[in-house]
Amino acid sequence: MKHVFLLIYILMITTACESVELIPAASSDLMSQVRSHKGKKAVLLNVWALWCVPCVEEFPMIVDLDKEMSELEVIFISADFDDQLEEVKSFLNRQGVDHISYIKQEKDEPFIQGIYPQWSGSLPFTVVYSRESGTIVDSWEGKESESRFRMAINIALNS
Amino acid sequence: MKLILNILTLMTFLSAAELEIGSTMPKMDHALKDISGKAMTLSDVKGDAGTLVVFSCNTCPWVIRWEDRYVSLADKYIPKGIGMITVNSNAARFSGDDSIEEMISHARENNYNFPYAQDPGSELAAAFGATKTPHIYLFNRNDKLVYRGAIDDNAKDALKVDVPYLANAMNAMLSGEKIDPVSTKALGCSIKYK
Repeated sequence: MKHVFLLIYILMITTACESVELIPAASSDLMSQVRSHKGKKAVLLNVWALWCVPCVEEFPMIVDLDKEMSELEVIFISADFDDQLEEVKSFLNRQGVDHISYIKQEKDEPFIQGIYPQWSGSLPFTVVYSRESGTIVDSWEGKESESRFRMAINIALNS
Repeated sequence: MKLILNILTLMTFLSAAELEIGSTMPKMDHALKDISGKAMTLSDVKGDAGTLVVFSCNTCPWVIRWEDRYVSLADKYIPKGIGMITVNSNAARFSGDDSIEEMISHARENNYNFPYAQDPGSELAAAFGATKTPHIYLFNRNDKLVYRGAIDDNAKDALKVDVPYLANAMNAMLSGEKIDPVSTKALGCSIKYK
C-alpha cells in the first residue's frame, strides 16, 4: 500500500510539472504574437530544435533571461518534426518553460520568409524586437554569448 | 546607441553573405579530402552539363531525413552529365563525429554513390557563404551558379514532396529552360566552422 501511495504521489508531481502548452504555429501566428507586445514589452524570438546541439546549449540561458526580465517576452519556436511533440514538451518542462510555447507547423520556405527573409534557415536563430516600435533591433544565426543577448535586449528595451 | 545598432546590422550582414546567383564557382582548386583517401577538387568533380555541390555532414537530422534523395538524385542526374559532390565543412568536428572514419561509415550505411569529402579549414563553405547542412549549390556547364538552397519542400518524407526544387532546377538547366525559383530556403544544422 505504501508503494501505491508513493506511485500516486510521483504521478501527481509529474502531472503538475507537465505545464507547458505546446501550440503548432505558422510564421503568421508568431508574427501576430510579436506584434501584440508592441509598446509593452521587448520580444526575443528563438527558433530551436531538440537535435540542434548549440540550440540546446544556449536554451537555459535564454530561459534565465526570460525569468529575470519582466519587460521581456521570450517566444520559443521548436523546429522539430511533428512526430516529436512529446519529446519537445518534455524538454520544455525540464527547462522550466512554464507557459505557452510553439512548434513549427508550416513548410520551411514560407516559415523562414515569414519570420525574417534574411535568415538562411540555420539553427538556432534569434530575433530581438524593440519594445516601443516593435521593429527588429538585432538578429543572428547560431549560438551566441549571454553578453550578445543582453546587449540586444538592452537596446530593444530602450528603443 | 546608433553606433551599436550599426555594428549589429553589420554583423548580421556579414554573417548572411551568400554566393549570388550568376557567380562563378569559387575555390575550384581547393584540395578536399575524399573518403576514398584521394585529394579532390571541384574541378575534378565538374560535369559536362553542370555541377552539384551539397554541403552536408554525418549527424544533422535534416541531412539524415533528406539524404535518401542525395542517392536518388545522383542515380538520375550523374548519368546525364551533372557532376556531384557532398562536402563536409564541419571542421570543428573533424576529430569527432565528422572524422573521415565516421564519414566512411556514414557513406557506406547510406549507400552514397558520389564523392563525400572533408573541406579543410571550412574554406569552401566560407567561399560559398554556406551556413547549414544540407545546403545546395547548382552550377551550369559554364560554372555559373544557377540554383541554391533546398532539395525540396519536405525533409521528412520524399513521398510527400510538393515541389522538388532541385530536380526541377536540374531538369530546366539540362533542357535550357528558365530555372524558377533560383533560390529557396530550408532549415538545417549550422556548419561548424573552425
